[in-house]
Amino acid sequence: MKTYEVFLKKAGRDEFRHAGSLDAPDPEMALMYARETHARRAEGAEMWLVERGNVLVADPDALAVNDDKPHRHNDGTLVAARRKERREGDDS
Amino acid sequence: MHTLADPPTMRGRSWADLDDFQAFIDGGGMVEPGDDMPTEYRDEVFRFIEFHANSELMGGLTERDWIPHAPGLRLKQIFLAKTQDEIGHAHLLYMVAADMGVKTRTEMLEQLFDGRSRFHNVFHYQAVTWADQVAIAFLVDAAAFASQRAVFAECTYGPYKRVLKRIVAEEGFHMRHGEEMLLRLATGTPTQHEMFQAALDRWWWPAVQLFGPDSPPGDADPLIRWKIKSQRNEDLRQAYVQKYVPLLHGYGFEIPDPELRQDAEGVWRAGTIDWEPLKATMRQGGPDSKRRIATAAANWADTAWVREALEVSA
Ligand SMILES: [Fe+2]
Ligand SMILES: [Fe+2]
Repeated sequence: MKTYEVFLKKAGRDEFRHAGSLDAPDPEMALMYARETHARRAEGAEMWLVERGNVLVADPDALAVNDDKPHRHNDGTLVAARRKERREGDDS
Repeated sequence: MHTLADPPTMRGRSWADLDDFQAFIDGGGMVEPGDDMPTEYRDEVFRFIEFHANSELMGGLTERDWIPHAPGLRLKQIFLAKTQDEIGHAHLLYMVAADMGVKTRTEMLEQLFDGRSRFHNVFHYQAVTWADQVAIAFLVDAAAFASQRAVFAECTYGPYKRVLKRIVAEEGFHMRHGEEMLLRLATGTPTQHEMFQAALDRWWWPAVQLFGPDSPPGDADPLIRWKIKSQRNEDLRQAYVQKYVPLLHGYGFEIPDPELRQDAEGVWRAGTIDWEPLKATMRQGGPDSKRRIATAAANWADTAWVREALEVSA
C-alpha cells in the first residue's frame, strides 16, 4: 500500500486544495478511491494525486514571520490616524 | 530534508509543557500532525476520532443492510448513496486517526471487530422495521449532525476539522432525506403512522442519549479544555430536545417520555434519563451489540481475499 495525498480544484476558481489522503495499492486504484471518497458530489472539476513520499516539507522555522523585515508590510497606521483626525475635525 | 512520509514529529512545533500547550490552544492555535503535541492531547484526540470513525463504519453497515428492503427504486438509490457516504466518512476519519501514529488502521479495525473498541450507542440497537430506518435518518443522523457540527465549530486538530467540514455537509443531506421520509410516513396510511410511532418509541431515548451524560463541571473534560468540543453534552442534548419535540408533535407523534414538560419560558425539558442503557452499549452489552459486531467481523473476514489480491497486485 502507498499513501496518496488528494487535491481538488473547482472549475474556474480558487487554487487546488488538499482534500485528504488515502491508501491504495497502485495509481489506478488510487484514482478510483479518490473519486469515490472525495468527489461524489462534484467537489472538484480537477483532481491531483501525489504520493506522500514525493511531497517535500519545508522547515517551519524557515517560514516563521520575518520579524526583522517589517518593511515587507505596511499596516497603514499613520495614514489611518491622519484620516481619522480630518474626519473628527470636520464634525466639530 | 523531509517529505510528508517521514515520521510526523520530526518536522513540527513543540511545547515546553501542558501549560505552554494550553496557552497555545487558548490563543486560537491549531495543531497539525507534524507537531510534537503533548501525549495526553494525542491520546485523547486519537481516542475521540477512532470512536467517531468506528461509529461511521458501524452506521454504514446498517444502512447497507436495509438497501434491499428500501421501498422503491428512489429510496434504494438514496440508501446506496447514504451507505457510501457513511463508509466514506469512516475512510476519511481512519486516515486522520492513523496519521496520529497511535494505532494503524488495521489495528483499529481488528479491535473493533474483536469487540475491544467503542462506537456510538445508537449502533447497538436493532432496526426492526423500515420505519426504524426512517427514525434513524430523522433522529440519529440529526443528533450525529449536531454533535459533529459542535466539534467542527472549534476543533483544534487541523486534519480532523478539515474532514469534518465535508462530513457535516453530507450529514445535512441525510437529515433532509430523513425528514422527507418521515413526512411520507406521517401523512401516509394509519398503519404507516403507527409504524413510525413504534419506531420513535424505540429510538427516541437512544438518540437523546447519544450526546452522553452531562459534561464534568467546568473545564474538567480535556476535550473541552483543548477545544475539540465547543459545547457541553447537556447543552447539545437540551438544544436537540428543544428542536425535535415540537417537530415530532407537529407531525402528530408522541414522545415516549411521560415526564416531558414545557417550562414557564416554553422550553421543552426531558424527563429523568436512565443512563444504564448507554453504559451497557459502552461495554458491548446493548440489545444488538453482539450481532452487529459479529456481522461486521464476518464481513471483514469474507473480504480478506480482496485485501490479499490488492497486496499482490501492488
Ligand atoms: Fe456519517
Ligand atoms: Fe449520516
